[in-house]
Amino acid sequence: MANDGSGIGASLLRKEDERHLHGRGEFVPDIKLPGMMEVAFVRSPHAHARIRSISVPPEARGRVFTAADLPRIKPIRITVNAAGAKAPAWPPLATDKARYVGEAIAACIAPSRGEAEDLANAVAVDFEVLDAVVDAPRDMQGSRHPVHEQWGDNLYVERLVEGGDIEAAARAAEITVSRQFRMQRQSGAPLEGRAVLAYRDHRLDEVVVYASTQTPHTVRVALGEFLDIEARCIRVVAPDVGGGFGPKARLYPEEIILAALALQLDHPVRWVEDRGEHLLTAAHTRDHHYKVTAYADRQGKILGVDAEIVVDAGAYGLWPQGPYQEAAMAARNLPGPYTIANYRARHFTVATNKAPLGPYRGVGRPGACFAMERMIDEVARAVGRDPVEVRAENMVRSAAMPFTTVGGMRLDNGDYPQSVRLCAELLDLPAVRARQQKGEPDGRFVGIGFAAFAEQTAHGAAEFVARGAAIIPGFESCTARILPDGSVVLMVGIQSHGQGLETTLSQIAAHELGIDPARISVRHGDTESTAFGFGTFASRSMVMSGGAVARASRMLRDKLCRIGAHLLQCDPAQVRCAEGAVLGPQGSVTIAEIAHVAHLRMDGLPPGVDPLLDATATYEPAIGTGVFSYATHGAVVAVDPETGFIELLDFAVAEDCGTMVNPMIVEGQIRGGVVQGIGTALYEEIPYDEAGQPLAGTLADYLLPGAAELPAIKIGHLHTPAAATEYGMKGMGEGGAVAPPAAIANAVRDALAGIGAEVNETPITPRRVLAALQMAREAAANP
Amino acid sequence: MTTIRFRINGNVVADEVPPRLSLADFLRERRNLTGTHLGCEHGVCGACTVLVDGEPARSCLMLAVACDDRTVETIEGFADDAVMAALRRNFHQHHALQCGFCTPAMLITACDLIRRGRAGSERNIREGLAGNICRCTGYTNIVTAIAEAGKEIASEVRHGQ
Repeated sequence: MANDGSGIGASLLRKEDERHLHGRGEFVPDIKLPGMMEVAFVRSPHAHARIRSISVPPEARGRVFTAADLPRIKPIRITVNAAGAKAPAWPPLATDKARYVGEAIAACIAPSRGEAEDLANAVAVDFEVLDAVVDAPRDMQGSRHPVHEQWGDNLYVERLVEGGDIEAAARAAEITVSRQFRMQRQSGAPLEGRAVLAYRDHRLDEVVVYASTQTPHTVRVALGEFLDIEARCIRVVAPDVGGGFGPKARLYPEEIILAALALQLDHPVRWVEDRGEHLLTAAHTRDHHYKVTAYADRQGKILGVDAEIVVDAGAYGLWPQGPYQEAAMAARNLPGPYTIANYRARHFTVATNKAPLGPYRGVGRPGACFAMERMIDEVARAVGRDPVEVRAENMVRSAAMPFTTVGGMRLDNGDYPQSVRLCAELLDLPAVRARQQKGEPDGRFVGIGFAAFAEQTAHGAAEFVARGAAIIPGFESCTARILPDGSVVLMVGIQSHGQGLETTLSQIAAHELGIDPARISVRHGDTESTAFGFGTFASRSMVMSGGAVARASRMLRDKLCRIGAHLLQCDPAQVRCAEGAVLGPQGSVTIAEIAHVAHLRMDGLPPGVDPLLDATATYEPAIGTGVFSYATHGAVVAVDPETGFIELLDFAVAEDCGTMVNPMIVEGQIRGGVVQGIGTALYEEIPYDEAGQPLAGTLADYLLPGAAELPAIKIGHLHTPAAATEYGMKGMGEGGAVAPPAAIANAVRDALAGIGAEVNETPITPRRVLAALQMAREAAANP
Repeated sequence: MTTIRFRINGNVVADEVPPRLSLADFLRERRNLTGTHLGCEHGVCGACTVLVDGEPARSCLMLAVACDDRTVETIEGFADDAVMAALRRNFHQHHALQCGFCTPAMLITACDLIRRGRAGSERNIREGLAGNICRCTGYTNIVTAIAEAGKEIASEVRHGQ
């Protein structure tokens, strides 16, 4: 159907904006109910300690709830399908042992949060402090006090990914380059933390749980399992959610505890996470260690890569997928968009006395991209060639696609080398090189760096089965309903929290039905009004939910056409849906008129056609291994050798995500992702000390990127529609966050090339830059 | 409990409050003005920014009792405010919001920047936004929207509107 300015390909302005621009959004903390009590938690101040006793002052009895006071709650259990993987049960309120700072021990209720915190402070817990496991590579094979003592070691799982013959590659290599890389632990840090409000609805015989989550339907599944109640008696609602980015795509103990309190106390309870709790206890992310060796020929053609990857996954695995994804995805994605034939990656997922690791924009891939793209630059330097050329030459060519990488990723289509060239153009590479030649008047060093990746998106059942996943989020659903007046409601199983899906999904239905998107509402984030779906994560909602909307809309369109043709007294093959009507060879009938017949005047229906305009469809892309967006990111930096301070002068993205439903929203997602990636590269870090104490508990210690330190982000597009999805869409929500750490580190390396310094750890803080400069100067002085 | 009396969005409000109650909690919990958001409660993220006596203030760091006899404006106010109207229009046009959580405070800070003539260049705007964190947009579109709104307001002033 032609693009009429509001369908697929149009930068339609967002439906979501109006309420937020007037402060009328509805986030969980904005909801108040009569009789509602606020919850604060008693949390462990120790990383690793046995709980000897919990004493509640007599005046606080009945207002403080330990695990013993909430017998309904069962421990969180992860299903594991991979042999040898360990999955510790996790009591939502700690019973015998606390395993990270911030682990919940008791819930306290009071009319205000301040009073609830007063109660929490009055609870005394007697601890026997144990040694904390904080150094994953050192402690993975064992420690004095293992995190889960029955294991003996501290390993969730250990695996090998292999392809080709790495020993042969090593023998054939003319160049061998080895490096170690580290991507530190960080937080997802959506601006709104987590929040839960729960109450009992006696009329409907259900517990209603409002939660700031990306996955309401699976949270309902989990609540049923861990509270032992039927799903029909649980409603989960994710209203406006103030950013998710992955950490809110998992079940949390607090959701179970609040639901249990509501069931037991029979009055509404609300918990609104504060920033300290968020930084301590909401899923952490990244925390990768790499040892990588690349084997290449004299031209920089990479023959093989040998890697060891250690992921510090924290004390427990988050439901549903456990702690295993991060290292496995890093290992499978390390070969990136390249033709590398020989590969070996041993990867380890390690339990430590830190907060559980969960998904965050990019999952596994920012670390893998950081390691691989730094290696590409080092190989290029070792053979004395420009990294831009070596990068492009090692990439998979269009003609070779679909191409399955040695890591097992099936790259579907695209022109990868062109993204490198386009990115170099966007940054005006020759001008940067000329500037470097001239030197800076202030003594700083300017550098330019690039990093490329291919991002698996919208993967279906095949991918999740291959991963041994506990649940298989391989489809999405949509119920499309036309109401008696001809207006449309789309009820979808995903959750939109900034992605603009209320707008883009209506664009798809508008495209299929020929109805103005202004007459289409999108309902999401509520188990009551939507068919089951998995939620919004893994760059999947536009492709998967969009596909379901397309299918359900087409089912309605067929019925509209049958009824319309009957009313127009012609054959259904002679009509089409457009301009809010069914158009026939002679005359037309509006969708409102057809809807009127379908609901209120069934005597006008053709024989054999049932009343109602209501269709539910599911959708899984035709290829279950994912469709791959790809991009090259480029950064220009100025590094001050005196202070180690890095100024980001310019940043560009050259990307291809297939067909863009709404280019304005695509670019918004890219820029937002890039700035989160810049946060990983330069600012964000949650260090732990030897005792397992987290050292970033406020936004004064945990630095988020602000407007003042960022350039405008440039974007260039390539367009290679996917063959396996509706309209050729590819997912793209995460890619922005994948490559900035690598691109910036390569730019810093380029800036400091004259001194021979490199920084292979994120965030690249001034302290780390100065340390690298010191090391390079010492090496130069003592060759 | 302390008795306070002040003006919120043009209306005089009187209440009894505990001394430790923050202005943000007062607005949100007592007055149901939930457009003022709490992102950190320690004065860094800026999501709770309101105008107190016409100047941007962190309502999470300010106690309600400290507002006695003062004037507070929240996102629910700004009726008939030409600057806010221009900002809202341009935030929408330029896709300057995603999840919407930082948006009300971002608008209030932007309103102050335009009123003080600090929205004339990209550098000015970026520095002016240093106290407001957005986790979704990457700021590019916010900066553009504020610059465009500033231009519209300047042109209206020039044309004597």
